[in-house]
Amino acid sequence: MSTILTIEKVRKRYAEVEALAEVSLAVQGGEFFTLLGPSGCGKTTLLRCVAGFLRPDAGRILCNGERLDTLPAHLRDIGMVFQNYAIFPHLTVFENVAYGLRARRVPPAELRQRAIEALRLVQMEPLANRSPDQLSGGQQQRVALARAMAIRPRLLLMDEPLSNLDAKLRVEMRTEIRRLQRELGITTIYVTHDQEEALAISERLAVMNAGRVEQVGFPWDVYQAPTSAFVAQFIGASNALTGSLTGPDGGWVGVDVGGGWILRARPAEGLAGRVLVVFRPEAVELLPEGGNIPGATLGEGVVASREFLGAILRYYLRLADGSLIHLDEHKPDPTGLRKEGERVRFAVRPADVMLFPAEG
Amino acid sequence: MHRRGDIWTGVTGVAFALLAVLLIIPLGRLLWASLLGDDGGFTLKHYREFLAYPYYSRTIGHSFLVSGLVTLAALVVAVPVALLLARVDIPGKAVLKSLAILPLVSPPFIGAYSWILLFGRAGYVTTLLQKVGITIPTVYGMHGIVLALTLNLYPFVLLMVAGALQALDQSLEEAAQGLGSSPWRVFWTVTVPVTMPSVLGGALLVFLTAFADFGAPMIIGEGYLVLPTIVYSLFVNEMGGNPAMASTGATLLVVCTTAILLVQYWAVGRKRYAMTQLRPVPPVRPRPFVRGLLTGYASLVIGLSLVPAFVVAVTSFFESRGPVLYPNFSLGNYREVLFNVPRAITNSFALSSVSSLLDVLLGTLIAYLVVRRRSVATAALDSCVMIPYAIPGTVIGVAFIVAFNKPPIVLTGTFLILLLAYFVRRLPYSVRAGSAILHQIDPSVEEASISLGVSPLKSFAKVTARLMLPGIVSGGILTWVQTITEISATIFLYFGAWSTITVVIYRQVSSSNFGSAAAASTILLVAVFIPVLAVNWMMGERAVTAV
Ligand SMILES: Nc1ncnc2c1ncn2[C@@H]1O[C@H](COP(=O)(O)OP(=O)(O)O)[C@@H](O)[C@H]1O
Ligand SMILES: [Mg+2]
Repeated sequence: MSTILTIEKVRKRYAEVEALAEVSLAVQGGEFFTLLGPSGCGKTTLLRCVAGFLRPDAGRILCNGERLDTLPAHLRDIGMVFQNYAIFPHLTVFENVAYGLRARRVPPAELRQRAIEALRLVQMEPLANRSPDQLSGGQQQRVALARAMAIRPRLLLMDEPLSNLDAKLRVEMRTEIRRLQRELGITTIYVTHDQEEALAISERLAVMNAGRVEQVGFPWDVYQAPTSAFVAQFIGASNALTGSLTGPDGGWVGVDVGGGWILRARPAEGLAGRVLVVFRPEAVELLPEGGNIPGATLGEGVVASREFLGAILRYYLRLADGSLIHLDEHKPDPTGLRKEGERVRFAVRPADVMLFPAEG
Repeated sequence: MHRRGDIWTGVTGVAFALLAVLLIIPLGRLLWASLLGDDGGFTLKHYREFLAYPYYSRTIGHSFLVSGLVTLAALVVAVPVALLLARVDIPGKAVLKSLAILPLVSPPFIGAYSWILLFGRAGYVTTLLQKVGITIPTVYGMHGIVLALTLNLYPFVLLMVAGALQALDQSLEEAAQGLGSSPWRVFWTVTVPVTMPSVLGGALLVFLTAFADFGAPMIIGEGYLVLPTIVYSLFVNEMGGNPAMASTGATLLVVCTTAILLVQYWAVGRKRYAMTQLRPVPPVRPRPFVRGLLTGYASLVIGLSLVPAFVVAVTSFFESRGPVLYPNFSLGNYREVLFNVPRAITNSFALSSVSSLLDVLLGTLIAYLVVRRRSVATAALDSCVMIPYAIPGTVIGVAFIVAFNKPPIVLTGTFLILLLAYFVRRLPYSVRAGSAILHQIDPSVEEASISLGVSPLKSFAKVTARLMLPGIVSGGILTWVQTITEISATIFLYFGAWSTITVVIYRQVSSSNFGSAAAASTILLVAVFIPVLAVNWMMGERAVTAV
């Protein structure tokens, strides 16, 4: 695989807001690449720069080594799926899909065959002659997808395409989008603010924050080894405490997180004094009476509340210094439930405790 | 892509140039004419004179009094009917609402004329009552103007208030009731405040329209002069006219209408409550007797405003000799109109069609610029293009004469001056209609087309313009209707062969040729009612907002 799209030091500023501070990215051919970040971090702006609806203030965008950012949008050969589908309401389903092919002056026989083929891929062939106002949200989404794929674009862009669908359909559609993308091998840039969706669907993803790319990587790596406190907290659930370094402790470093409790953590370079301590709920384990896990930091807290989430039971624990952490118990044992107000002991595995510079 | 010098920059430039030539220059010249002394120097003497002589100055008071009375009367007539239409289960509601639009598009001078036919010196009712020995006061003067204008304009209030009441979600009143309010209290603390902006908005619209109206006071006012009519009589004075005083009056008129508009912005500007209506309050269904009574009342009020059209239509088929009409069926009046002034009829159709077409074209493009290409320039354009909204036809008339009767631009006596006056007067409405539709079309639909490989300009044409089309067409028809009934600017600007059907009606009424006036009026009303009813049927409820 080779790089198909290169984004080099792209900046974009609206009157008062710096939407893109300086973004550089490389997307590989055939890849499913996701831009993930909270609302307002600049994902749409970046996508629209690539699509050609916005002109970057600085930087370059290259496709297969050629300048893309100097090309008018309609000559870029980039398919786009919009958040609100943007179906042409005055055209039938078939004509919607045929629209881009007509613009390319595809001969009638081939046009028909390609449009039908695209509709078949999204299982909308039987509804080809419907008018869009007779379609459900999910069906309109499929038409939008077929329309963008029918032109066989060199790049497919999707801006939060599932955000208007209900939760169940969202999960179904994302599986289907991924299957189609694999089948056709279209390089895809997918935008979402939903970290679970991003982890599930992406081959690689870029986490964005306030107009910058914080981290690029495979979902597993970004989850396991976040390079910034922002990524650590944005992806997956996490506990965050502030503390101060106390010094090396075996292969680990100790952090005083308050109340005299010293938590052992993965050593991190260049840190001193105040630090932010982040660990995921699955790094914490409740201990039975007198139980112990060798090498782990032991702690004590009081059950503040608990949530039953189906497969897991989430406990919120109040620590001695008043801070709150949570932990998940998988396949909870109904006979061993801890009650609210009960004092419990738990263990935190040092390998799962990450340190970042304290903010501010 | 934002490329410099694309077609939209051109459109912006053309729009600004047109507004400069058609608004800024005429209004500047008008002001200048009012401030120019006999010696060619600056003077305020015309203003002093206008305000010092009661003959002139009282017209200001008259205008405010007439508009105030019309507004009050319109509220009294319209609000109860609005409540009935919105909240009571009345049969034939849709028909009543469609009929209520008709008075709004009939020119007030036809209304005034038909009240003269009924209650004037030789009116049907007047003579009938005289035969049985009863004399009634004549209809001429202030009360005649108020009567004619009220019945023409009250539907503004009716339709706006009924619309607001229907947009009120049931849950709002239920919530208030849930909080322990009695139905009566709910009405006063929830329903009334929420619909108040619409009541106020409708009332101010009536006030402004009544204030700027020229036709009704001209026809039925006789000695009772208001600002637009004094301006006209100053202009066409037997002694050769007094352009400086006419300009002064026109300037004062535009100052007043601008002030009224500012009050409107201040009073209702931001207070519209946006309702996403899910469940309108279901209409109550009273006992059959009460229901019949209420239906009768609503029909009576709306029927009353259609009396003028009916009277004029019937009269047009009477035999006539001057002001005397004989109730025998005859097509003589139509023969007279069609043979004597066919040119005026074709002029009216041609001028209003061409100017409406231009309005629609430029209005749509400007709307697109203002909504989709926001910039400092287009925001300025948005404000400038609304200026004609505040300018009565009378003022446009005087200003165009003053500006275009000498080099560098001489237009007086040509059809072009009428065409341009019509065009600029209705432009704000076209822009508003266009932007209202554009706001309902998602911009990404056009972007989808671009991303599929169609150039931006073609995408605009194939997608956005295409989606705007139904709205544009109905907006264009309404523009056409308003243009073909125009009299207040036309009366200044028409010349010789370029007379229009409205001018013909006015002149026939003035010279007491009531038969041919009725025939010409009927032709005009039919030409106006048919397209309006068609648009109303096409667009349903939305037609109301368009008017
Ligand atoms: N047309 C615009 N004018 C001004 N600011 C904008 C405009 N579009 C987006 N922004 C701002 O730029 C930032 C990034 O927006 P966007 O790219 O839409 O974020 P995202 O898609 O990640 O939610 C936000 O702060 C947003 O408010
Ligand atoms: Mg976005």
